[in-house]
Amino acid sequence: MMRGYWSIFYKEILHLVRDPTYLVIALVIPMVQLTLFGFAIDFDVRHIATAVVDLDRSPESRRYIESLRNTQYLDPVALPATTDEAEDELRSGAVRVVVIVPPNFERHVLGHTVPQVRVLIDGSDSQVAMRAQMALLGGQRYRFPAHNIKDAGSGPGVKRLDTQPWPVDARVDVVFNPSMRTQIFMIPGLIGVIMQLVTIALTAFSIVRERELGTLEQLMVSPVGRLALIVGKVSPYALIALFEMVTVLYVGWTVFDVRIAGSVWLLLGMCIPFIVASLSLGLLISTFARNQAQALQFTLLITLPSILLSGFVFPRETMPGAIYLLSHVIPVTFFLNILRGIIVRGAGFVDLEPNFAALGVLSIVLLGAASARFRKTLA
Amino acid sequence: MHAIEAQGLTKRFGSIVAVDHLDLRVERGSIFGFLGPNGSGKSTCIRMFCGLLEPTEGRALVNGFDIVRQSEEIKRTIGYMNQSFSLYRDLTVKENLVFFGRIYGLSGGRLRARMAAVTELLELGPYADRRAADLSGGWRQRLALATALIHEPDLLFLDEPTSGIDPVARRELWNLLFHLAAQGRTLFVTTHYMDEAERCHTVGYLYLSRLIACGTPAELKALPCVSQTNVRMVSVAISSPALALAVLQDAPFTRSATLREAEVRLTIPTETPDSAVIAALEEAGLPGARVRSVEPSLEDVFVALAEEAGREDHHS
Repeated sequence: MMRGYWSIFYKEILHLVRDPTYLVIALVIPMVQLTLFGFAIDFDVRHIATAVVDLDRSPESRRYIESLRNTQYLDPVALPATTDEAEDELRSGAVRVVVIVPPNFERHVLGHTVPQVRVLIDGSDSQVAMRAQMALLGGQRYRFPAHNIKDAGSGPGVKRLDTQPWPVDARVDVVFNPSMRTQIFMIPGLIGVIMQLVTIALTAFSIVRERELGTLEQLMVSPVGRLALIVGKVSPYALIALFEMVTVLYVGWTVFDVRIAGSVWLLLGMCIPFIVASLSLGLLISTFARNQAQALQFTLLITLPSILLSGFVFPRETMPGAIYLLSHVIPVTFFLNILRGIIVRGAGFVDLEPNFAALGVLSIVLLGAASARFRKTLA
Repeated sequence: MHAIEAQGLTKRFGSIVAVDHLDLRVERGSIFGFLGPNGSGKSTCIRMFCGLLEPTEGRALVNGFDIVRQSEEIKRTIGYMNQSFSLYRDLTVKENLVFFGRIYGLSGGRLRARMAAVTELLELGPYADRRAADLSGGWRQRLALATALIHEPDLLFLDEPTSGIDPVARRELWNLLFHLAAQGRTLFVTTHYMDEAERCHTVGYLYLSRLIACGTPAELKALPCVSQTNVRMVSVAISSPALALAVLQDAPFTRSATLREAEVRLTIPTETPDSAVIAALEEAGLPGARVRSVEPSLEDVFVALAEEAGREDHHS
């Protein structure tokens, strides 16, 4: 039964050594992914982008804002003047939390009463929302460090405040997905990841198949234009992707009760650069993969980081700098912002413009790179 | 105007020279046989002629168009048939023809007329609605030829068109090629079959990236390195040719020895008589040999050319 075992074993080792792609897939990729994901995945969300509307503009309110930063969980990145502006930032996804400090904040502190702040939390990413909620509700125990109110203790009845903890009453409202349902968080993300996977795989496979069959060469000796060839080959898949998008949205709505808060047409329009970028990635893979098996491996290689780094499951807030930057070359990262923006928060075009622009740039760069390489591999 | 005219055509991939200063002329309406071992640069040549690959050096005209500057014009006037069946297997015969016809800009009545013409020529009618995947090897090649002919190309490149098909289909395909040549089309054929090379009007032999011989089969057989003045070629008929080959390979008079059609083919000095060959075999216990003089075949030509080129390479 086991006769010939060692010769087969030895032969397999020879295959591995001779074809470096196998070795790369077997050794390098797991190492890269381990490091990448080991650093990227951190459930302890920190540095949540926060907008603070300071209506009091007093030393005490500034001190309170500073104490929020000191928690490490919230990162006051914007100080809009009005609540409306802050809400816009929340809708666009630029910040996840809005803290509104009322005009009477310092008076409350000096008058020994508990000041109230209003907090709006974006519930479209339930993990981030949960962490922000915890951080702010815990805020009641915050100490006001190193008080140096000039006339503290001089007036009658005024206690020294410098070492005292002072409670703050945070009234938290989870806006957008207030019930913090997991489906509302997961399904928009799932749409993006599925769309990217399907589009990349369909494109890469259809081209690699023609290369394997030799029909691509047959086309190259014909007067068919290069552009006509590329566009003609990928546009049916773009249409399939669009159709799939509509189907998934419909299923999300009917089966999982994920309603689209914003405009469906805006969503369909904004997914075009995403589809172009994904098709280009597929095209790019087809220039590297020699056969369909390799095309599948390359597709998985792109899909895994897309799932882990795009913010689909794991909040991007926790990712270290380099990996955070890396997440910007993945089309689905921006598309997730658009999906969650329109579906959960009802965001409009202006809110999501940066994501749309980023996707546009990404799709042009990827399409350019893919066409250049495609042209080269044909000759 | 020649169908193909190349001067000093060279292609280098990095430090590797794939085609080395090729000079070639292919007459219109002729069948040109392009031969050479695998990896000798045949495919690279064809790819340059088709305008797929730019030469590193030299120039070439195909159907009067420059291969670098006018590759688009070339593509309209050539047909290309690959050794591997490179059509869509999940499409029917008809769908393949329509697709390639449209790719070449045919439509409407013109497309219908051309489809009817190639279908009739290649007798594909009964198979029109069959998927290409369900055709046998010979019929697949017919379909491939039909698609290569759909736009009436003046020049047809056929890269090992008969590899892997049965002898009957092979003969039928060649009859078609003769028919096409008679219509004035030029056929540029690569093959490893010597009998196919014999059928070509002109034969070019590419060896180690260089075209080391080019001419009619008769001209090649008369080359000095093949028909050397002081040697002759004999065929030895004997009941056990394999044993005889082993004996004769070690005989002092043998220049080269091989088996062909169950006989031993020998190159021996002119002064060595037939009787010396018979004697050598009898001495080894192999009686009953009959020796006759033969003309060199194209196989002998290419072996002789390769040996000579190898020797030159060795010296330089």
